[in-house]
This record gives sequence, structure tokens and C-alpha cells, in this order.
Amino acid sequence: MHDGHSEQTLEMSATAADEPRRRFAGSGFGLDRFSGVYLWVLFIVVFGIWTPSEFLTSSTLHSVASTQAVTGIVALAVLIPLAGGLYDLSVGATANLTGMLAITLLNHGWAVAPAIFASVLVGIAVGLVNSVVVVSLRVNSFIATLGMSSILAAVLVIITGDASPVPPTSTAWNNLTQTTVAGFQIVVLYLIAIAVVLWWMLAHTPAGRYLYAIGGNAEAARLSGVRVKRFSTLALVLSSTVAGLGGVLFTSQSGPSLDFGPALLLPAFAAAFLGSTQLLPGKFNVWGTLLAIYVLATGVQGLELVSGAAWLSDMFNGVALIVAVALSVNRGSGRVRRSRPIRGSGVPVSGPSSPEQDAPGQPPPVTSARVTSTT
Amino acid sequence: MPQEHQHHPALEVVGLSKSFTRTRALADVSLSVAPGEVHALLGQNGSGKSTLIKVISGYHQPDPGGRVRVGARDLPFGAPVQSYRLGCRIVQQDLGLVGNLSVLDNMALSSGFPTILKTISPKRSVAQARRDLERLGLEIDPRAPVSSLTASQRTGVAVARALREDWSYPPRLLILDEPTAALPVTEVDTLLQMVTHMAATGVGVLYVTHHLGEVFRVANSLSVLRDGRLVGSGRVAGFDHDTIVHLLVGEELEAEEPATRVDRLAGVAHRSERPILQVEDLTGGALAGVSLEVSPGEIVGIAGLTGSGRDELLGRLFGSVPRAGGSVLVGGHALPQHRPDLAIAKGVAYLAPDRKTSGGVMNMTARENLTMPNLRPFWKGLRLRRKLERSRAAEWFERLGVRPAGSFDEPLSIFSGGNQQKILFGKWLSQQPAVFLLDEPTQGVDVGAKADLHHELRAAAMAGAAVVLSSSDLEELAELCDRVLVLLDGRIAAELSGGELTEASITRRFMPAAALPA
Repeated sequence: MHDGHSEQTLEMSATAADEPRRRFAGSGFGLDRFSGVYLWVLFIVVFGIWTPSEFLTSSTLHSVASTQAVTGIVALAVLIPLAGGLYDLSVGATANLTGMLAITLLNHGWAVAPAIFASVLVGIAVGLVNSVVVVSLRVNSFIATLGMSSILAAVLVIITGDASPVPPTSTAWNNLTQTTVAGFQIVVLYLIAIAVVLWWMLAHTPAGRYLYAIGGNAEAARLSGVRVKRFSTLALVLSSTVAGLGGVLFTSQSGPSLDFGPALLLPAFAAAFLGSTQLLPGKFNVWGTLLAIYVLATGVQGLELVSGAAWLSDMFNGVALIVAVALSVNRGSGRVRRSRPIRGSGVPVSGPSSPEQDAPGQPPPVTSARVTSTT
Repeated sequence: MPQEHQHHPALEVVGLSKSFTRTRALADVSLSVAPGEVHALLGQNGSGKSTLIKVISGYHQPDPGGRVRVGARDLPFGAPVQSYRLGCRIVQQDLGLVGNLSVLDNMALSSGFPTILKTISPKRSVAQARRDLERLGLEIDPRAPVSSLTASQRTGVAVARALREDWSYPPRLLILDEPTAALPVTEVDTLLQMVTHMAATGVGVLYVTHHLGEVFRVANSLSVLRDGRLVGSGRVAGFDHDTIVHLLVGEELEAEEPATRVDRLAGVAHRSERPILQVEDLTGGALAGVSLEVSPGEIVGIAGLTGSGRDELLGRLFGSVPRAGGSVLVGGHALPQHRPDLAIAKGVAYLAPDRKTSGGVMNMTARENLTMPNLRPFWKGLRLRRKLERSRAAEWFERLGVRPAGSFDEPLSIFSGGNQQKILFGKWLSQQPAVFLLDEPTQGVDVGAKADLHHELRAAAMAGAAVVLSSSDLEELAELCDRVLVLLDGRIAAELSGGELTEASITRRFMPAAALPA
């Protein structure tokens, strides 16, 4: 979409510095930042023509909206640390643990509210442990949270005895997510509420500004007085909290399952990365992420209606993740300048590598060589 | 080893010039290095040394007319591989070693490992690496990680790698670019011995350095560059310390007494007496105990060669780089370590030396960079007020003349070096710092922007800021500062002010008295 053309414009004016650049990327209705919207429209038109009786129905709309709501929440969870140049790969396992914990507690006779509260609290605790490992012990966030997700999977087996518990009978529990509002399950509203709060935080508060600064160049942020450790901690705790909430909502909506968490991880990352190429290109952003979630879901839904193949959604998400990262990396690498990863800044090794303008979408160690080369 | 070439110079440069678009970096330079000879190449920053090296190593295409011969063969320009094949070997100042790999792996990085059936043969690799090291008189275990070596051993490894056996293209000329710059004083001897040892094998050595003491100890002959011209050359025996300094800095500069300084001396009278910044016995890294005091309105310069501690002083003072000991007081209150935010709150601003790695967040907008140290004024009604931020950014763009004008919502990366630096200046000036620490504030900045930045710096001092300016640009120091502290081996070796404060006198204080020829 944005090929060598825009790249070149950028590079030239970067040196000449005589004319504001980014006519392409920054303003107007360039294919670039709104490509997701166009793709979405394309999906709707194509499948609408192909199989109008099945695709163009309000039930399709409602089902796509609600089945993707929890995925959306988990995507927003990974978005927060990504903005700060950190990975949280433990969100899936966290969600799985808190969701199943809530059910286990309910089955032990807890009331709905305390069960949810305790479960989300566990999510917060996971975030605190993550941040101790990443921020204080300076373990690369990719590694730390990968390890954590394995630990959480083990804890899950301990709690459940590796047997799926019976679904709770409480109607309050089911209504938590399945009450319908204008045809949509209420969980969609939760997603929107969380999105609004995070959008406010990331785009309109100093905390958000600082997080992006850390993601862009942690050392420069630190020297500007940004409390890098504090905000890295905040990001990791928030992501686990949101993921924990997402897990509870998932089991309320879909019932107990021992392995839904890991399955949420990839679509969440795919959406966050794809989202970083949308609306505000080069920046992990809330609305871009939600757009990506629903564009992908619409495509998958349409293809499934047409072909009925069961492998479509995995294939789609995998391709989307790679394409998204390729897009964001290549935007950044058009220019040669790339600064070194920053050391000793509290944010680990891989974290804040390339403060190139469009590049934060290509966060740290996706080019994984860096993980090892800089330690 | 290069018997058949013994009679030809290892390097012969004849009438070499090199122009960049606007400047002439080299003008009609000629020099010659015999096999087995150590030839010192001297010159201030910007005198053309690096350009010369880049031409010889094949990275730059010189202006037509010049000629470079290596071992009696003409060097085709613009192709580094040709330069290598003729026998040029270069050891850069940063050595280019990978710390966590072994000596052996580092040495094999460029040449490849000896293999049997495409499989690395560990025995032969180790033996060959050991041979290469021993030829330089180095006893280093090839299996040791480079990070475990001393600084001079590392330089040795880099040199051994450059000079390793290559039967197809035997090395004839070794270029050492400031090999002692990062060495502790105690290890310089080891390195100098190695250089002598190396030359004895028949290789010609071009030895680039700032340290005159070393010249007298290892070099047979020397060349001095100033403003791209060869201003002196010959056998070392024909020179003494003073003549070389004289050649380095030039006649006119020594005599100069800028009028601005006289003005400033007059201004000293009505300056507040009480120092706002007090540094007592600061240690850590290369710093071996630095004490200084700076009063409001004063501009104090820090000079010193690489390794003197100059490049670390401000970071440690600010607290962003850990200190080993000593105290830093601002307005009588201690400045804690590891807390740039507290230092900033106390009115200290620190302009970091490298814009890209530690100065600015390149992918954020100029506006966001400008307001980063303090967002409080824009945080109203639970939102960051972008409109307020924009008007603040617009003011600073206007005041500092940032180009392209009004594009403060563009990412910092699109601006030119000079304009980026202006924006970062604005970021700190807008905090109205009481103490302004600047590390290499005009490095890589064009002349116009530099003048603007100097103007702002003076204005800040006039407004009452205590300014500390660490710079490798001596002209800048001599022009701007009320006094300059010269660092040597981590201590303040001299304090220059008034009429004493000239580029030449700073250069003279770079060298330890002991290194002067006896």
C-alpha cells in the first residue's frame, strides 16, 4: 500500500527538512491509515454479494460483535505494554487462570461479585510479579512473560485438577455477559467501556504520553524526567488486570474451558500490531486495534459462511500478524538511521529499540536477533 | 614478511584533495610511510584526518589528481575491498569487537574459520589465532571472551585481527585510529610496545593520535594536518612539543583575544557571588575526583581528550550515570543519583550528548518532545490540552527559528540535525533551568544553527542560569566560556580564564606534563 513512494518522500524531506512530510501517512484519506476501513467495506460488499442471505443479517452482526468482544479486551490488554515497548505474552494464561478461578470459586459457593473481585485481584498480582521480574530484575519482557504464562498454566492445572469444572448455575453469572442490549450481548459494551478508558489514558493523559515516550526511546524519556520504571510497572499491571477481567468475562460468556487463554493470545497480538498501522500509523492505538479485530473477524466470518472450513480463523490471524509486523517494520526501515537499544534503563534490552518515527509499530524484538545481541 | 616490497613505501599519498559539497576537507596532502616505520598523523578535530583515512581505506573518492599508492601499487578509489587487497589494514577507534564472543570468534568474524570439510576445525582455529596474537607479542588465550580482557589487550586483539595472516593479500600498512583514546594511562605503555613490535615485522604504521607524548615515544616521523592542509611533516627528531602544538593550532588563533571575552569579564562584577552548583570530589568511571563550583550567570566549559573523563562528567553530575562517590549540590540541596526527574524538579536541565540515542524521542512529535519534562501546565480538566501545547511549541519554534516553521506536529526524526538540536534546546530552555548542563550541544550541527544555539546559551546565562558546557569543540569553548576546566586522567588539570583562555592553551593542557619530551 504505502510502498517505496511514501518512504522516499519521507527520507528526502528528512534530510532537506524544508517541507512538512507525511502528506501520505498523516492526513487525508490515504490508503495507508484507513486501509483497514477500506478492507472492511470490501469484505462486507464481497460477502454481501456472495451470500447475502446469510452474511447480511443482524444475527451475523450480533454474533461477530459479541464473539470478538473478549478477544478485543485481551488485545487492548497487550496494547498497553506494547505502547511502552514491552511485551506481555502472559495475558492469555492470565485470562485463562482468572476465568477458571472465578468458576471454581462460584462452584465453591462464593457469590458472583466476590468471585469476580478475587479473580481480577489475582490478575493484578500476576501483573505485579511480571513487573518485578521485568523492571527490577531486568529480565527481557518477552522472556519474563513467556515464562510467566507457563507458570500460570501450571497453576491452572493445580487449581482445577486438570478437569473442567461444571458450569456454574448462577443466572447472575451468565447475565454478567449474556444480557442483550439492542441485540448485542452486554459484553460488547464492556469492551467499548474499557476501550474508552484506555483511549483516554493513552491519548489524553501524561501517563499515556510517558508510555509512548518510553516505547520510543527509553533513555531519552528517562533523561527527560520520565519515571521509566514506574510507568513500565503500571503498563504491566494494567495489562494483567484487563486480561484478568477479560478471562472472567470469557468464562461467563462461553463457559469453563481449560485452554481458551492461549488461543486468545495470537489474535490479540495480531490485532494490536495490525492496529498500529491504522488510524495513527506507527503508534499502537486503541481504535486501530479494535478496527483490526473486527476487520479480521468479518473476513473470517464471511469465509466460514462461504466455505465452512474450520482452519480459516487460525490461518487468517497468523497471516494478519505477519503482514502487520512486516508493514510496520518496513515503514521504519526505509530510513537508515536506527539507534541502538538502550541499556540500563529499567526497560529490558529489547524494549525500546527503534525510535524511528513510524517504527514503534515494529517493536522491539520481533526482529528477534536483537534479543540476544544486546545483552 | 613483505620482502619484495621492502624498498617501496608502504604508503605513498601524493597531492590528495577531497571536497565535499561546500567544504574542502583535504587540500593537496602528501605523505609517505616506509615499511617498518611508525608515522604519526596529528591534527585537531575537523582537520581532515578521518577524511584522509577514509580515502586510503577506499570509502571516499578523492578529487581528481590525487594519488595513493600502497606498496608501489596505485589504489583504485571508492572500493574498500581493493584497499584491503593492496594490504591496508585499519583498526578503528571503537575496535569493532563483540564483547561476549571469544577472542577466537572475534578474529574469525572477518576472515572466517579454518575448516575441514566445511566444519570448523577448533584445533587449527585456536592454533592460528594464537600464532596471530604471538606475532604481536601478545599472550592471550584465544578462547577467553573479549569482555574479560583489559582495554589494551582488546586493542591488541583488534590489531592482531587486522594483521592476521592472509597469504593472498599480505598486510603492508596498518592504520591505527586513536588507539589510546579509550585506554587507561596505565595501559598505554603496553600498547606502545605492541606498536613498536608490529612495525619491526616490516609493516608500515600510520598512527593517529591526539597525545603528543606518544608521538615522541613510538613514532619515527610525523605529519600535522590543519584545516585539511599538511602544515608540517618530517622526522620526529626535528620537532619538539611546542612546535607541534604551534602547528596544530596555528598562528592566528594563539594571538586571538576575542572581544566578547573582555565584555564578559566586565560582566563578572555584577554576578551573584554564591555558587548555585557545587560539586565536591566527584568520582566514578574515569573520574578520579572532580570538584567545581558554578555561579548563576556563569558559563563554565569542560575540555579534555577522550578517556579524560570529560564525556562522563555531566551525566554523573546530573545523576543519570551512577557515581562512585562525591557530592553534588544544587542551591545547597543534594542531587540524588538515578533520579533525573528529581534533578529536573530542582531546576537542573541536561542536554544529552547524542540526540538519537538519548536526546530525543525520534518517533514522537516535536511538540511532544518539547513538553516532555513537564506536562503539568497542559494537564487541565483530566486531559492534556493539545491546543496549549501547540501554542507553546509554536512560540519556541518561532523563537529558535526552527525549520520547517510551524511543523511542530511532525515527528522529531524529520528535522535536520541542527533543527532537532534547537527543539531539544527549547525543551530545556522552556523549563527555565537554574543549572543548564550541556554535553556536546553543537555536535553535527551546521554553522547557522550553531550560532543560534550559542546565542541562546548566552541569553540563558544572562538570564541567570549557571551553564556547564562539555565540548570537544575547542573553538566553542574558547568563544563561549567564562572559564574552562581541562580534565586529564579524571581530574581537573587546569583552569583557564580571561586572557589565558584560548584554543591553543586548552590544547596544551591536554597533555600530562610527564609526557613532554625530556
